[in-house]
Amino acid sequence: MPLHKFNFGSFRRYTGNRWVIWTIVLSLMVALPLITIAAEMFSRGDAVWHHILHELVPSYATNTLWLLFGVGMLTITLGVGAAWLVSMFQFPGRNIFRWALIMPIAIPAYINGFTWAGMLDYTSPLYTFLRNQFGIDTGTYLFFDIMSLPGAIFILSISFYPYVYLITRAYFQTQSANLFEISASLGYGPWRTFFRTALPLARPAIVAGVSLALMEVLNDYGVASYYGVDTFTTGIFTAWFAFGDTSAALKLSGYLMVFVFVLIFAERTQRGQMRYSAQGIRKHGLTPKRLSGTGGILAGIFCSLPLLAGFILPAIMLIWWSTQTFSLIVDAGFWSLLRNSFFLAGTASLVVVAAAILLAYTVRAYSGRFVKILARITTLGYAIPGAVVAVGVLIPFLWLDNRLIQLPWVNTLLITGTWLALIYAYLVRFMAVGYNSIDSGMEKIPESLDEAARSLGMTHGKVLRKVNLPLLTGATLSAFLLTFIDVLKELPLTLILRPFNFDTLAIRAFEFATDERVAEAAPYALVIVLTGMVPVLLLNKYIGGETS
Amino acid sequence: MITQEQPKPVLQISRVTKTFPGSCDPAVNDFSLDVEEGEIVALLGESGCGKTTMLRMIAGFETPGSGSIRIRGRLVVGDRAFVEPERRGVGIVFQDYALFPHKTVTENICFGLFRYPHREQKAKTAEIIRLTGLAGLGKRYPHQLSGGQKQRVALARALAPEPRLILLDEPFSNLDSLKKAQMREEIASIIKKTKSTGIFVTHDTKDVLAIADKVAIMKNGIILQTGTPDKLYNYPVNQYVARFFGKTNVLHAEVTADGFQTPVGLIRANGYRLPLGQKVLLSVRPEQFEVSGCHENCLPATVTRENFLGEYKELACRIENESGKELDILVHAPPGQICDDQRCHIRHKGDVPPSVLND
Repeated sequence: MPLHKFNFGSFRRYTGNRWVIWTIVLSLMVALPLITIAAEMFSRGDAVWHHILHELVPSYATNTLWLLFGVGMLTITLGVGAAWLVSMFQFPGRNIFRWALIMPIAIPAYINGFTWAGMLDYTSPLYTFLRNQFGIDTGTYLFFDIMSLPGAIFILSISFYPYVYLITRAYFQTQSANLFEISASLGYGPWRTFFRTALPLARPAIVAGVSLALMEVLNDYGVASYYGVDTFTTGIFTAWFAFGDTSAALKLSGYLMVFVFVLIFAERTQRGQMRYSAQGIRKHGLTPKRLSGTGGILAGIFCSLPLLAGFILPAIMLIWWSTQTFSLIVDAGFWSLLRNSFFLAGTASLVVVAAAILLAYTVRAYSGRFVKILARITTLGYAIPGAVVAVGVLIPFLWLDNRLIQLPWVNTLLITGTWLALIYAYLVRFMAVGYNSIDSGMEKIPESLDEAARSLGMTHGKVLRKVNLPLLTGATLSAFLLTFIDVLKELPLTLILRPFNFDTLAIRAFEFATDERVAEAAPYALVIVLTGMVPVLLLNKYIGGETS
Repeated sequence: MITQEQPKPVLQISRVTKTFPGSCDPAVNDFSLDVEEGEIVALLGESGCGKTTMLRMIAGFETPGSGSIRIRGRLVVGDRAFVEPERRGVGIVFQDYALFPHKTVTENICFGLFRYPHREQKAKTAEIIRLTGLAGLGKRYPHQLSGGQKQRVALARALAPEPRLILLDEPFSNLDSLKKAQMREEIASIIKKTKSTGIFVTHDTKDVLAIADKVAIMKNGIILQTGTPDKLYNYPVNQYVARFFGKTNVLHAEVTADGFQTPVGLIRANGYRLPLGQKVLLSVRPEQFEVSGCHENCLPATVTRENFLGEYKELACRIENESGKELDILVHAPPGQICDDQRCHIRHKGDVPPSVLND
């Protein structure tokens, strides 16, 4: 390369810069579990692996595919349908449905899972009531055995449809009403308009929403395990806990990651091809058409079903059970567990937020392609299922611990089974949650503010402290809150990495439920749901503000 | 060896070239400029000509691909050296002012004084507030200020740490035209009063003519011409520069012993050292012509268009050149002047010799 073309300025800006070095370290930390898995995936397996591969993997694959397909279909139906109705029509209850339809996001899928199972169970208050009052008796389960593949699809769909609903609805909101009015003026009825205009238009949004929902399906351990549906995620647990086979667990993680990458790839290509937006057209918002009579009632029913199934019924059941078991469960132990759980989530969120601020500021200050790639890698963790992160973190740490313990002054495993490993894994998994929030906050601060501060003699550290952070309080708070909730309700990762005899709210709730003690699980679950409602309500306030 | 009497340039830019990644053409190409102590220098050009990029390289927010920049003799960029923006001692005023929204006027101004002891911070802030006419506004927040006030705060903040050099990015573009004229004078006088050296970027020749001591006009990353504003106005090197500073007549001419033979007759001039008979292009500003009764060296013309522009009137006068082609010459005439039947004579005044263009 001729010397005059070599950009030594930007070269110098990268090397020996501690911001960039920390960002590299962060992205390596996130990449570590993936590297571990990739390294193990192509090695020859042992006998246990061959057993798993031939006896179990085919059913893991079939079940996972069915779950993805079923949840995909059902979330599109519920999410897009509801989004279309509340955007286009005025019907009884619409203004409540508009925001209430996202409430199921506050209830983790596994809580919905055991709540529904308990609700339809022979001893459930609902079944008892129907049996005693009306003589309805349908066997062990009310109506049908929910603990099955279709049952799992149902639970996952009512838990995750809000992703589709939220993104699609936001999309309809930003579309010009003209498009739909033109469609009507060309003689298309509402159904035709929906299928011919709205659905194709909203495809990028639908794809984005569904891929989020399906990521959650791949991440799910609680529902699949509780409902006895063997997937790759439950397979990782079997390999790890039942067979004690680290290599098989890693290999299964590798298989699961293939699904994840296919999903990411599909979403990216979809989004890349379609950038439908009505730019240049003068936008005026949709004026909802009044639906009266049967139409209005049907629309109301369509919207109330997912809301009832995904939020209202489970919430009522949780409250009912909690009143039953309150005196039994809520004692000093409960409060100390609550404290532990909150303290863990708080610590992890602080670490995540700090790392997110570091990353976001580095991207801002050193806006080069290299740094942007690092940021991409660092936020990849959210796509990696919790169990995969856990296994990918645990195995290198075990290796390191086994080296460390040979040192004369070390007499215990230093990392594995401690908060350190757990918080590290949360950082990997939830970095994107914190980063997205901080980053969107930073985007609102003009870069000239940073530059003005630097020309006044401030180093990057000072600029961040004196200019960016004071202006980022809202974004920081929401980053903390969102991460906090995610950690609080996290199940598979925590199950694998938690210190010995250490429980969180989520684990205790799940264990009680697994022991068929759903009523005793309820108070723990209720705390998670109530905490989870905070950001949802804040989000609703934002949605409300956006339209007024 | 540099002699002691020679004023040392505050800023020396030498052969700076910058190409952004993903672009083939350099944004700034082989740019060299010296700025002396106390000067106000303008970088002039259309948007996208590289002037802001150059300014940002001086401040340290962009790094050049090659070339060097020295501030007060100290190498800040070049030869593998790079001094971070915070260590350059360069103040900057942004187009959007970039005031810290969470800080009051006083806090904004005080922001860059953190290295001084508290007492001195207060004294310096008070001094600069007085100098910039911001007295009484110290406790306000940026959103409570008008555009002109914000600009003065931004300038005060940049000047407070007594920078070696102050950079202003399109400082007047956000102000309405009445405010603009006033702020130009004010800012120029503040910069002079504080004995600072200033470089500002603009696309408006009025800014340049009003306050700049020196101008560098840029196009596609290249400096076309450097000099005092009146030099660029009266002696542009090419048509682009000539037209940038306002309307002009570009005339084909031939060098003669007495000056230039043009379609409007002989324009007397000497000292050009051009070979006799050479064909050249001249730029003659409309105000160098006058409409008159014919004495000598004049040309009959027909007025085809009149624009009343306040202090003067712009006439388009149609003449015929030797080959019989029609040609419109722009002439400034006093607003009261009336031509009979649109007929008149035009004449070159001769007080400013014409500019020979190199294109």
